[in-house]
Amino acid sequence: MTHMDLAERQARQVEWIVLIKRGQHFGAILLGWVSFIGIWFLLSRFVVGPILLPDPITIGIKMGDIISSGAFVRHFSSSILKVFTGFGIAVLIGTPIGYFMGRTRYWKAFFHDPVMVAGSVPGITYAVMALVIFGISLEGPILAVALISMPYVAINVAEGIEGVDRKLIEMSRVYRRTERHILRHVLIPSIMPFAFAGVRLSFALAWKVEQLTEVFGSSGGVGFMIRKEFQDFSVTGVLAWVLLFIGFMLLIERFVLVELERYLFRWRGPQESELA
Amino acid sequence: MNKSSALGRNLALPPNGVGRLQKLFSSNWGARLSAYIAFLIIWQLVALIVPRAPGPVPVFTFIWIEISGGSHGGVLRGQFLQHFIVTLQRFSLGLVMAVVSGALLGILIGSLPFFRALLNDTLLVFLALPAIIWAFLTTMWFGIGPRAPIVTTLLTAAPFVAVNVAQGVRAITPDLHRMSAAFGVPLSKRLRHLILPAVTGYLFAGIRFAIIIGWNGVLLSEWFGAAEGVGWRTRFWYDANRYRGFVGWVVIFIIFIVLLDRLALTPIQQYAFRWRDAQAQSSETTKSSMASS
Repeated sequence: MTHMDLAERQARQVEWIVLIKRGQHFGAILLGWVSFIGIWFLLSRFVVGPILLPDPITIGIKMGDIISSGAFVRHFSSSILKVFTGFGIAVLIGTPIGYFMGRTRYWKAFFHDPVMVAGSVPGITYAVMALVIFGISLEGPILAVALISMPYVAINVAEGIEGVDRKLIEMSRVYRRTERHILRHVLIPSIMPFAFAGVRLSFALAWKVEQLTEVFGSSGGVGFMIRKEFQDFSVTGVLAWVLLFIGFMLLIERFVLVELERYLFRWRGPQESELA
Repeated sequence: MNKSSALGRNLALPPNGVGRLQKLFSSNWGARLSAYIAFLIIWQLVALIVPRAPGPVPVFTFIWIEISGGSHGGVLRGQFLQHFIVTLQRFSLGLVMAVVSGALLGILIGSLPFFRALLNDTLLVFLALPAIIWAFLTTMWFGIGPRAPIVTTLLTAAPFVAVNVAQGVRAITPDLHRMSAAFGVPLSKRLRHLILPAVTGYLFAGIRFAIIIGWNGVLLSEWFGAAEGVGWRTRFWYDANRYRGFVGWVVIFIIFIVLLDRLALTPIQQYAFRWRDAQAQSSETTKSSMASS
């Protein structure tokens, strides 16, 4: 009886401690947001002035205007379409590059420097390249996204190829499957998760570069609108557009990409797809 | 064709002139050289197809004139060092401020759970804000001048230093913290002998990111909000509709950041991480040398 009591009391105590800890954690997060917005308010009211730094409420109202006018949906869908088209091209070109890098020493050495350099040059480079090649156009941002994510796809696919089960290929040969069959049913299914991981890794970079390219030369999309607001000297407009954009991009990164990956690679079983 | 068959074919070649040439080109150095040659050929092809795009020869001629201070035709003379020095001053000032503030913030976030919960979301927002936004905002806040590029460098680079340092602090085993608390080790000693050695490697990784990202920031900010400096000069050529100047400067930026990365940053980072497992280190550097922009 006393033994049970003690155990129960201890369990309840632990529960309380966990609850308090969790409360403190969420309290701190809440405090973080409150102080972030509070400091913003104070800066806006007393230090910088409402024209140079509008308060969060003004920005919120502007965001509401942008959404209700339909401008956000129009420009955001234009931007996101370019990002995903760019990704598609990056996977189409990056996957064969990664395949060769993973299979032969020669191609690994060949692509080593281009891939490394492409991964460490500033984003402005891609924006400029797109502008020079395509001018003010739809294709520019797509090219920029493709160029910046391709090295990530290639590196990941190369890693994936090196990890392909050689026994599976040998077995397919023993059973006289054609090379095309092996490619379709052994190699491509093993590579795709890695290509997708490359896409996910480069997502944050890709949308930033896409938007930068739109700032430099475009006739539509979120980056174009940010540029327009900048030229109108509207801090409110710039902040409202960028915060909306960031918010939706983070949502896509967190939910859409993760879910899509889980769906595409559901044959791998739950644990593996969690890891990738 | 896999590793062993490529090797076998090389060995089977007779040692005559053609064989030696083939061997040279199939070596690692030959492969890398071929990559650069292929790049130049593709560049030239793009220049032939797209009338706006300048080929490698005009671009490198432009770079030479710009650096040597020769004439671009007419009264326009090459200007290089004056802009480069101005930009480097702004860049290094912003970077130093970013590293100091980022490191302090990172230690705070990494060692105290309260600060982690407090600042984590704010940091996420700052990490997600693209450099171009800071360039626009600082230009609107400070006008044309040196302050916009400096503050842009600071604001784009600091979050990356903070995140890396926080990661380093969190990687310290809690046992060591508990032990030093139990033995009453003062905070200053704990900082010197426990936190700093553990954080150094992460700090250098953070500085490396900060340099690549801050360089992008300073260029963008000078493009939109400066009256001198390399970013301004690039815009000058763009506005003058001389694409070879515009592309030439971008090539200079790439060469600068790649040389800085290869000659200074990667060796420093390897040195700072030398206490870790050698194998883990090599994969770490290839992975981390990728993430950027």
